[in-house]
Amino acid sequence: MNNMVIPLLHNEIAKAARTKLPYFGLMVTSVLCFLIFVVTGAVLDGETLNAWGYTSLSMQLVFTDIGLIFIAVFASMLIAEETAFGTVRAVLSSPLLRWEFYTAKVLTGLLYAVVMSVVSLVISACLGSVNYQFGDVADSMGMIYANKEVLLNFIMAFFLSWVPLAALVMYGIFVSTAVRKSGQAVAVAIGTIYLIDFTKHIVGIDPYIFTRYIGFSWRIFNQVAQGVDYQWSPEVWKMIAMSLIYCFVMFAGGLVIFSKRDLNG
Amino acid sequence: MSSDDNVALRLDDLCKSYGRIRAVDHLSLEVHSGEMAGFLGPNGAGKSTTLYMTSRLVHPSSGSIEIFGRNVWYGFKSAIRYVGTMFETPSFYEYLSARKNVELTGRLRGNVTDREIGENLERMGLSERQNDKVSTYSHGMKQRLGLGMALLGRPRLLVLDEPTDGMDPEGTREVLNFLREKVRNDGLTVFVSSHLLYEVEEYCDRVFVINHGRLISSGKVKEILAPHDNVIQVAFHGKPPDLTGLIKEESIKNIERLPGELFEFNLADKDSVWLNNLLLKRGYKVSSLAPKRRTLKEFFLSITGGKNE
Repeated sequence: MNNMVIPLLHNEIAKAARTKLPYFGLMVTSVLCFLIFVVTGAVLDGETLNAWGYTSLSMQLVFTDIGLIFIAVFASMLIAEETAFGTVRAVLSSPLLRWEFYTAKVLTGLLYAVVMSVVSLVISACLGSVNYQFGDVADSMGMIYANKEVLLNFIMAFFLSWVPLAALVMYGIFVSTAVRKSGQAVAVAIGTIYLIDFTKHIVGIDPYIFTRYIGFSWRIFNQVAQGVDYQWSPEVWKMIAMSLIYCFVMFAGGLVIFSKRDLNG
Repeated sequence: MSSDDNVALRLDDLCKSYGRIRAVDHLSLEVHSGEMAGFLGPNGAGKSTTLYMTSRLVHPSSGSIEIFGRNVWYGFKSAIRYVGTMFETPSFYEYLSARKNVELTGRLRGNVTDREIGENLERMGLSERQNDKVSTYSHGMKQRLGLGMALLGRPRLLVLDEPTDGMDPEGTREVLNFLREKVRNDGLTVFVSSHLLYEVEEYCDRVFVINHGRLISSGKVKEILAPHDNVIQVAFHGKPPDLTGLIKEESIKNIERLPGELFEFNLADKDSVWLNNLLLKRGYKVSSLAPKRRTLKEFFLSITGGKNE
């Protein structure tokens, strides 16, 4: 029997392409990139910042708040919206299994996070190149890091930034299965993220919360861009491990809830 | 044809409980291939829950469901590929056009061509507005779209929950005639839940009645609606005669006058031939005499304890 994940993903993309929320999210993050450009242009000059540093700063700012919110909103609506409006019944009456539907939803959420990340990066990098320069990282004493090394770190930071975003998507999908109404799912997803964010230091659970890693890779890369010593290990392994644990637990938890749920209105 | 093929849908000892409430209670039934079967019951009888279970949208507490011999729980994909479903108030992606909705469903059914999509929309009378968003459709149009989507991929079994709900009388008749034709010409099997008893009476071959989740009656519509042997309706020429003399007859339990100058004779142990002979012998001018025809409503009310839907 053919696996139905690809046709389902195809459908998900077709649906998402015809709704406003994904475009609105991309538009808002793009506007934020421009605002960051304007603000940094007013307070910093080319001697204190290079294009690498600008781009990493912009990516950090975009994804620690607005990007995070839109990805969480998009992911938390994916299943809850179908459950609330009953369209899930029509889909699941087709020859496909629930885990295939669920996996297609997860892939859709991940795809959106990647698209948002790519769009933000392209805009940030393009704007960065207007006032600043990509190239070797150097100071008055000479070159600190060669362009090639910086570029490699830049690529690594970019791909590593997807890891905590994947955990964020899984969290959104988990909420989307646990809460049946889309509006409530969005409220629960955003509300819990911020509630935990505000209290994690007080309670002492900060090292165990994946959201702390959302800007992590760009923070490390920013050190490269500034020409100071940087160190990926061991923190990067903690980030990967913590994010993957969240991904696995949220994916499995959501799938179990969704598979066992009665979908009779 | 194997026995598995002969039975399109088999529910075996099916149960579904929500806490202490038993929505479906040891329900067993068989819908035969090529027939249109009605599924009746008062509100809350467990009809929709049963239909949801056939598509695995609701998990049964116990029992089994087979579609053309394939167990829905252990071979869902192979079982459901023969089934088209439409649940009460079908849901759509309202921000998409009707055609896009059908295309999305068609992609999941695997073997649906653009031509079939176009034909389905045309058959349901939606071809002119196929590119309009579903949010602009009336309830009746949505019902027709749901039915069109259920028919995608040429299913062998259609499971329909209140398919004509909200349709105008003409649309209802068109849809039911179309389904009846598909049953007759293409051998389609239809299992339809409806609260409109005349629909079931006129279009279905077989009827299943449930109440409190239990099957309380089933049978062929023709047999269920077979005329009463000893309830005879009689009309007379001219002015209605005085029938008081007949009451003394031992075999006549009572005579009731109905609207339209019609009299209903309730006989104890005799039939219409006996009554005809008696009336002629007594000199009554009979214009028509026939056993009373049963209606599904009468049957339904009698077995559900007068609880109408």
